[in-house]
Amino acid sequence: MAESYRRSQWSNGLFVLPYLAVFVVLLAFPLFWGVWLSLHKVDLFGPGRFVGLANYGRVLVDPVFLQALRNTIVFVLVSVPVLVALGLFLALALNRTTRMTSFLRGLFFSSSVLSVTIVTLIWRFVFIPGDGLLAVLSEALSVQPVNFLSTSGWSLFSVGVATVWWCIGLPMMLFLAALQQIPNDLYEAAALDNASPWRVLTRVTVPSIARTIMLVAVIQIVMQFQLFGQAQLMTNGGPNGTSRPLVMYIYEVGFLRWDVGKAAAASELLFLIILVAAMAQYVVSARKSEASE
Amino acid sequence: MRRFLLSTAALIALSCGTPAQAETKIELQRFFGACDADYGTVTDVSKAVGECGIITSLVNKFEADNPDIDVNVTTVEWPGYDQLNAQLASGAAPDVVSMHYSAISDYQSRGLIDPVDEVLSAEGISPDSFTDAARDGVTKDGKMFGLPFDNWTMLFHVNLNLMKEAGLVNADGTPILPKSADELIAQGKQFKEKTGKPYLVQIYANETAAYTRILYTLLQQQNSDFFADPTKIKLNTPEAKAALEFMKKIKDEGLTTTGLDYAAAVTAFQNGDGGIAVNGTWLIGDYVAQSEKEGTPLANGYTVYPVPQLYPGRDSTYADGHSWVLPHKDRTPEQTAAIGKLFKFLADNDYEWARTGHLPSVKAVFDKPEFKALPHRENIAEIAQTGRSLPAAVQRQFPIQDIIGEEAGAAINGDKSVDDALTSAESRINDLLANL
Repeated sequence: MAESYRRSQWSNGLFVLPYLAVFVVLLAFPLFWGVWLSLHKVDLFGPGRFVGLANYGRVLVDPVFLQALRNTIVFVLVSVPVLVALGLFLALALNRTTRMTSFLRGLFFSSSVLSVTIVTLIWRFVFIPGDGLLAVLSEALSVQPVNFLSTSGWSLFSVGVATVWWCIGLPMMLFLAALQQIPNDLYEAAALDNASPWRVLTRVTVPSIARTIMLVAVIQIVMQFQLFGQAQLMTNGGPNGTSRPLVMYIYEVGFLRWDVGKAAAASELLFLIILVAAMAQYVVSARKSEASE
Repeated sequence: MRRFLLSTAALIALSCGTPAQAETKIELQRFFGACDADYGTVTDVSKAVGECGIITSLVNKFEADNPDIDVNVTTVEWPGYDQLNAQLASGAAPDVVSMHYSAISDYQSRGLIDPVDEVLSAEGISPDSFTDAARDGVTKDGKMFGLPFDNWTMLFHVNLNLMKEAGLVNADGTPILPKSADELIAQGKQFKEKTGKPYLVQIYANETAAYTRILYTLLQQQNSDFFADPTKIKLNTPEAKAALEFMKKIKDEGLTTTGLDYAAAVTAFQNGDGGIAVNGTWLIGDYVAQSEKEGTPLANGYTVYPVPQLYPGRDSTYADGHSWVLPHKDRTPEQTAAIGKLFKFLADNDYEWARTGHLPSVKAVFDKPEFKALPHRENIAEIAQTGRSLPAAVQRQFPIQDIIGEEAGAAINGDKSVDDALTSAESRINDLLANL
């Protein structure tokens, strides 16, 4: 028995080897290489020289980095709750099997399959002054049109609207899947107790899908911290850097200015921030569910 | 069996070893857009209009004339340097790449592009055949690092129909353009009062280049030597302050469109939404074509001039240009010869390219009767003398442009004071240049 157990250990290792190889080559190695780069003064085209933590120092005193960090945190704080709430709302509304709901589920999910270029093109038609949908609407209503893409505040808002529209499909689907796992007898019991719809939602539905809510929140935190394409294509980070997210800062420093060391340092900081944010969310939710059990 | 195997092997070896007519392949990577639907098979270059149409049909014509050379074109999003950087970093660079003069110093200083002097001399192209501005644009350390293709600047594209409405047209039909900053404001106000439309159509959203090019122009016109030291910019100067305050005043007085990105600004002028589009040479061909169509806002009412001299210092306008460079890589002698042929063809056909509106890089084109007959070229010919670029040794000109554009935009839109914007731009650029 002991002999066969030892043998199986080795052969089992072979099964995970392909995955492990891909993981090491595509994830672990770049992670450590990124750290190595962040400690060097280096461009895209050749070996650099070791500068210790100097790149981190330069990043942390760069007002543009701090502004991008602030923008990104604001973006995540606003977009993630909206995605969770709206995703849950849509899932609740579409959690029945009629032809109409099936069609609407497909419709709401369809934006997720578009590439970021198409998404931003569509929203450009909405937001651009002059011929844009909102400009035409506000003209029809005799309201002063807003330059959504080139006014501080509105530009990040516009990027957020496009992002929510683009990303809403996945949270909705995850919530739908979770809702369908809730045993029907819970609802029957609630109906027998004459519980109000709000009470059913807060006491039966939400607690039953708490883990999915946490999953969606963590996925969205990780995704929205990496905001880039929409901001670059819709506003180019402007005006005055008010819609420049961290990834765009990293891209500008690394690819446009060839300062790869500094960009790598900023990337490592972003990695840490995402890790902490996702872990915090996880820990808070885990404590909550422990407390309620 | 053995004989069969041997003879099969011999046949395979024969068929692979000596192809009758080997095609030499050149990988060409460029911006200027994609228009294969309209011009994919056009070889009659004279039928093409606009940058994309003309370069696409030029390459088609070259391939038709040289059946032994296959030019494989990759079109990249403007300006395409991210893609090129990635290719250079991974050792997969194309053979020929379109590049702005202002970007050459970055690649040349890092040994990433090869000199073209030998390629040009093998084809009998003399450096003297290019205009000074074009040759200087590609020359670093005494060597030419690209085939100069044109010079370009920002221009005043004028809608004469609206200018007439505003009473800003001379008796001879030419537009009345400002001769000073104050005059521009006064004429802008007059235009706005009479037509109800903004005087200038500018690219003010999702954009940095337009702000920067105009600021450079206004600084040059005041004789401000803001890059006296190519490793340090000086923007905390009275000249820079005057220029930026003037740009802000244009916006504050409501004399310009706001919130338009590049594509929207191009269309807005075409739709008659403003009097003067401040945009590049490359649009002349398209706007002329538009003005020849009856019933359009530009019909029979389009002309174009250099950005007027608004300060007494000197007549000057910021200029850059496009070139074709050779990324550093191993090439076969056949490929080098094919590239030489392509360069010769492009230089010989520089007139066709000049139809876009760009100024020719080849001197002889200026004397061609066809060129002189092109619409409005006499108005802008002076740019060959008044066009000025940044000093050749200034590196990272594209990122610098982004920083200036962002900060100038912030000042113009009122998000920052003019002084703060200039201070911030100066320190950001100097930090960038100090950490190359």
